[in-house]
Amino acid sequence: MSLLQRDRELIVSNEFVKEFDFNEIENFVKNASKNLFISHKFKNNPNKTLVQPRGGFPTQEKMFALYEQFKSTGVDILPMTIDSNTRLNDYASAKKMLQLSIDEQKDFLNGYPLISHGYKTAREMITHFDTPISLRHGTPDARLLVDMAIASGAFEIEGGPITYILPYSKNFPQDKAFLYWKHVEKLCAKYSTLNEPINRESFGPLTATLVPPVITIVIQIAEMLLSLEEGVKSFSVSFAQTGSLNQDLVMGNVIKRKAKEYAAKIGCEDATINLVYHQWMGSFPRDKEKSDSLINTGAMIAKMVGANKIITKTRAEAFGIPTKEENGLAVSNVQYTLNMLNGLPTFKDEEEEENLERQIDEVFETIFNDPADTLWRKIFNSIKNGIIDVPYSPHIINNNELITVRDESKNIRIYKRGKVPISDKSFKYEQSKLKGKVDKDSVVNQIIHDIGIML
Amino acid sequence: MKVVTGVVGNDIHVVANRLIDISLQSRGYEVFNLGVNTYLQEFIDAVVETDAKVLLISSLNGEAQGWCRELKRYKEQFDLKDVLFVIGGNLSVGEASSEEIIPMFEEYGFDMVFHQTDLVDGLDKIDRYVKENKI
Repeated sequence: MSLLQRDRELIVSNEFVKEFDFNEIENFVKNASKNLFISHKFKNNPNKTLVQPRGGFPTQEKMFALYEQFKSTGVDILPMTIDSNTRLNDYASAKKMLQLSIDEQKDFLNGYPLISHGYKTAREMITHFDTPISLRHGTPDARLLVDMAIASGAFEIEGGPITYILPYSKNFPQDKAFLYWKHVEKLCAKYSTLNEPINRESFGPLTATLVPPVITIVIQIAEMLLSLEEGVKSFSVSFAQTGSLNQDLVMGNVIKRKAKEYAAKIGCEDATINLVYHQWMGSFPRDKEKSDSLINTGAMIAKMVGANKIITKTRAEAFGIPTKEENGLAVSNVQYTLNMLNGLPTFKDEEEEENLERQIDEVFETIFNDPADTLWRKIFNSIKNGIIDVPYSPHIINNNELITVRDESKNIRIYKRGKVPISDKSFKYEQSKLKGKVDKDSVVNQIIHDIGIML
Repeated sequence: MKVVTGVVGNDIHVVANRLIDISLQSRGYEVFNLGVNTYLQEFIDAVVETDAKVLLISSLNGEAQGWCRELKRYKEQFDLKDVLFVIGGNLSVGEASSEEIIPMFEEYGFDMVFHQTDLVDGLDKIDRYVKENKI
């Protein structure tokens, strides 16, 4: 028996797992409909930006209704957003809250408690819709959840050891997260050999608060490498609308080039790398018409950066969890906008792209030069040492020395580099764009302004 | 001058916490930032351990009301009479006026209370207080 199989058997022997038949599940994946694989859909729609909303409800009934709503509004990919108890491996609370939600016909969970439902129930629904499902969660230890998701027919797994820790947790041990996610990568790689590949997707928005492009892309590529080195064959890097059209387009060009380049560096050029674009992830206006405009602009930019998939927001964003109608409306509006945009001109900003590529190489050079023996340890040490520094991360391991503000064109620029090892040349470039418009007395007001630009 | 700061309770509003940190540093304070999701006892321990002269607790989701009732008890346990106790942010769950909120927190044992006050104004007041009272 492999070590992976030994660990899996231990993990599924959990009092909250009703059943888990390894052979039955393997057969299911082997014979599953190609329509359930987003990797297959990407391959057959190379020039389309697939549309995926967010969403998840506790009961089977409401989840079914949500999916029906989405299907009627022209969705390409269905989301399965998991509730926060399940994300924290608190299956007892998830089960209790699911029962309450059923009994009282009211939502006591902020997502779908997949472990509580079990894979057979979930699979019935997923195969009924015969549409790719993307697992959205935020789980530091997702070993059981991912096994359950694949058993259910959800063949895209979001997350990663950095992007699901640094923006979400204060003190979940970062080293453990790397090991738990290594298990997830191995699982996805194993299942990828049976049918079409399982697609892994990293969560590029991070804290969605003035994260500079270099940090976003370094983390995207780092998670991609950790995934590919375990044998994953289909991976999506992602980033969120920055608030600057120019910076979005620069990031789109650079992330596509650099992801390929670094994959080749570790001998994984055979993997398919996709690009996902998140509509604005910061604070939304409380004005629904303005929100519509923000969402449409995001759709246009997704097309311009050549995203393979866009993840939508809704006009109700400022007010809490959207209804299925509001959520469906966003899907049909975004599809409408995307359908208008054909034959767009290509964009190039040589100076900006060169600056960003140089910064990425500078940071990776330091990461790769870390004396640790494995890639995950090198990356772990780099987070600990502040080489990777995510603005506004609540996690105790994050260095919090990097400070960013926006320049006159709303591009996010590095004001203080902290221990992020960009060269003096790169740093001077960033500073030149700020032209001394911020100093230590005005920086806080500038930041408050820059975070709230869409309000 | 040493300051201990952080967000009390299960509150994870990290942006304001980082801005307070940056502002205090640029005003010349030595900052011990305990970050989000910090319990009252951890604040007191940090003040004792670092010998800080200012404790600046913030709260965004209104949990402070529940957590800070215990402050007096901690003040009796340790010799903290030279420490300036400050709390700021959004100090109530739901709507409440400063007229109601400020006396309540003063009663808990805070020297300065800022309810829905502009960050820069609040920090200016702390600066002035520190100078005038030669803390």
